[in-house]
Amino acid sequence: MTETARMSGPAGTSGSGRLGALLRRPEAGALLGTVGMLVFFTIFGGLGFLTVASTASWMNVAAGLGIIAIPIGLLMIAGELDISVGSMVPAGSMTVAIISGHYGLPIWLGIPAALLLGVVVGLVNGILVVRTAVPSFIVTLGTLFSVAGLVLGFSVLITGTTSVAITAPDLAKAIFGSFYIQGQFQVLILWWLLATCAYIYFLHYSRYGNWVFAMGGDKVSARNAGIPTERLTIVLFVLSATSAAFVGMCQAILFNSAQVSGGQSYIFNSIIAVVVGGVLLTGGFGSVIGIFLGTVTFAVVNQGIYYTSFDRNWSSLIIGVMLLLAVLMNNTFRKMALNYTPRKGNR
Amino acid sequence: MTFARKLLQAASALALTATAAVSADIAVVGGKADDLFWNKIKKGMDDACLAVVANGGKCTYLQLQTYDNLGADAAQLVRTAIAQGANGIVVPNWVPEAEDPAIKEAIAKGIKVILINAGNGDKARELGAINYVGTDEYQAGLAAGEYFAAKGVKNIICINTVPGAANLEARCKGVADGAAKAGSVSNQLPLPASSFGDPTAVAEAIKATLLKDTTIDGAITISAGDADSAATGIEQAGLTGKVMLGSFDFNQTGLDRIKAGTQGFAVDQQPYLQSNLGVTLLASHIDFGNLLPTFPVLTGPGIVDSTNIDATLNGVAAGAR
Repeated sequence: MTETARMSGPAGTSGSGRLGALLRRPEAGALLGTVGMLVFFTIFGGLGFLTVASTASWMNVAAGLGIIAIPIGLLMIAGELDISVGSMVPAGSMTVAIISGHYGLPIWLGIPAALLLGVVVGLVNGILVVRTAVPSFIVTLGTLFSVAGLVLGFSVLITGTTSVAITAPDLAKAIFGSFYIQGQFQVLILWWLLATCAYIYFLHYSRYGNWVFAMGGDKVSARNAGIPTERLTIVLFVLSATSAAFVGMCQAILFNSAQVSGGQSYIFNSIIAVVVGGVLLTGGFGSVIGIFLGTVTFAVVNQGIYYTSFDRNWSSLIIGVMLLLAVLMNNTFRKMALNYTPRKGNR
Repeated sequence: MTFARKLLQAASALALTATAAVSADIAVVGGKADDLFWNKIKKGMDDACLAVVANGGKCTYLQLQTYDNLGADAAQLVRTAIAQGANGIVVPNWVPEAEDPAIKEAIAKGIKVILINAGNGDKARELGAINYVGTDEYQAGLAAGEYFAAKGVKNIICINTVPGAANLEARCKGVADGAAKAGSVSNQLPLPASSFGDPTAVAEAIKATLLKDTTIDGAITISAGDADSAATGIEQAGLTGKVMLGSFDFNQTGLDRIKAGTQGFAVDQQPYLQSNLGVTLLASHIDFGNLLPTFPVLTGPGIVDSTNIDATLNGVAAGAR
């Protein structure tokens, strides 16, 4: 927790030199990890890895994951966890596909309905966590299965199938599910960048950010200090569930189809992205840019594999080793940065 | 005492003649009819039963209420059919260990049995069932591989999002063997678990693979959902029309692609035929003593491509495909 004490605050660090201050930011280590992976795959994947198509390749994967990973990261900083996102992704895509694909109702009804479902599940998660004091892992485990069951049950009941086709009108496709710049980059990337900027403001420049860190550091003290911890917890759960529903909704529009299954990989992948990005599993420490870079690292490692000539049967092994290396680089660097003391008279 | 025994003998003799004269009373054991797949099985049965009823017989669909306890529940349904006095049972052999005793019981009582959907010819022989009507994963793969090769596709990837699952490995192995017959090659592209269920990750993996190895001109996915991702991956690589896409099973979006020409084909196991032929073969055996020498009867692989897409779409609308 010494790290927390020193690093938790928003931008302002005083004292040491400008470079030292920059390097001591929590995301500096994550940046090193990301750059390391990019270099690795450029070496082993050849220059093919630097083309527009391959850049789009990892950015597209990072975008969907990143939109979910940041709110998950905020929850983890605040000392909570949300694994129900695994079923919120298919819930979001099935909702929009059933309303606008199966029933043929306007997409402008299907989209808010999908997001509203996210808000409702988020409220249920948040209120249950706050009121029952059951660990959020267990509460969201419950909603993970419940929502999956509801989605399967209702899909079969309503459509008689587990896969629904949807053809979105051009405008909706343009905003939520199409490719730009040589037809390679998903529009979701733009949403991801916008969301990242909004979250940076929220966590590092608004007063709510300090509240989030304080909650993760010591919830009781935070409450005693007058922070509305309960309301803030509920808001964070609503953000994560709604973000997951949003990503699912965009997928349905992009791929013209929604499936009941799938989405489970987002649970683990988002936690990996957050932790690779330097957020402590114990809470109280982390940054939005760190999570952003963690997501990029994860996506680069996952997609970079396909540009190398390693046998595909070893993919998982390479992903595991590279992620571990990225985190080790990150941690070592952070320790070095935290122990950095400017020499007297240095500035 | 002797009188009583004689009476009993007479009664049972009468009962036997009565049974012989009674037409087919067929019980079909199956999954929930609200499930898309089993709904097609139910329709196949209903259509075949029109002829059974015309010959004075009847059919009953005994459906599972849940899939939680598949083997035991299916065995229970077989016993229910025995108790209801069916003289023919059509049943999928999902969990042999659980179902085999019940099926043997039925056959020991003189009830004729046909296995459909799950099982194989060897199993039907072992149990004493009169036939197996269904598919084989390896054969389905083989047909896909041969289809690719016949269309001049030289280098095929079989995208497996669940590497290690026996039935899916069998599909991909079939594709490789089918392609090899005509001198084409097929390699499996196993995707790590971290991309399962993330359509973007699957699409990007396929795009990257196609860009890296430009000799690939065919791709097949192990499920209908993955084909949606693959279509996007191929489009992203700018190879739509150059890389032929195929899939095992299909959904509406896949059929739309086949209609539009952006997907080559889909391999179908034709569930409608499984129950339809199962009931027809069983009824004609019970009623008229017909026995089909073809053994086992394969309902798949059926290939859906541009040549039969319109008929298939009609079948989908009618609930039979």
